[in-house]
Amino acid sequence: MQTEILNLKTEREDDVLSARVGGRIDGSNAARFEEMLRSAIEESDRAVIMDFEQLLYISSAGLRAVLVTAKSLWKQGTTFALCSLSDQLRGAFASSGFDRVVRIHGSRREALDSLDE
Amino acid sequence: MSVSDDTGNDHLLHFAVLNDLREIAVAADRIDEFCSVQGIPPATAYAVNLSVDELLTNTISYGYEDSEEHRIDLMIRRDGDVLTIEISDDGIEFAPDSAKDPDTAASIEDRPIGGLGIFLTRQMMDSFDYRRDEGRNIVTLTKKTGTASPENQ
Repeated sequence: MQTEILNLKTEREDDVLSARVGGRIDGSNAARFEEMLRSAIEESDRAVIMDFEQLLYISSAGLRAVLVTAKSLWKQGTTFALCSLSDQLRGAFASSGFDRVVRIHGSRREALDSLDE
Repeated sequence: MSVSDDTGNDHLLHFAVLNDLREIAVAADRIDEFCSVQGIPPATAYAVNLSVDELLTNTISYGYEDSEEHRIDLMIRRDGDVLTIEISDDGIEFAPDSAKDPDTAASIEDRPIGGLGIFLTRQMMDSFDYRRDEGRNIVTLTKKTGTASPENQ
């Protein structure tokens, strides 16, 4: 069901924030999604990893929210990466060119490992 | 909730939504159900959902100068391996061609926020046609269904 609501679960370990996003993000809740992220992120975070494994759908409104977050993290010097996107989500990121401005990893493990490189 | 139903034809889905962004998820459910029954691959269903979403979001967010309730009609039809999607609303005239494509090669600091919806729709669909007819915006999209799953043939 596409009507599954947006949810965000976060955990922080060693100043790395993992945000697991589930449900769908469209024009009706993208602003709320952006706000949820903003309140979850601390300036002291050295990295933010957004895990999209449970995300069913994202529209351009959701992509915008990701971009806004990426920009603000880039400004404060926090590493930002996405992981575990379905093929459909990857397609949306590729079509919008966002895969060039945001790092995308296959899994959360891979994203976490990349921080130590 | 959708305000009308006309699903007499197996290959045709016709319904309407109100000018409320929460209706997008309702439309998505209808589209998913149609695509599933028609054996349309998930990637194509996703592209259709995304395109309809972008157009509905634009119309609902920017298409009305009053705060009245409006009805937006949607039609999806499968003819062989081609899907045709028509979205019709009584909002203000819009000029989809005037929107400049975003620079998808821009770096993160230069990448502008916005201007993505119609661009994505054009990327996802095989054709995009807009016309203004008797005070209504009518957008017609087509998309090849792609490889259908055999069990749904």
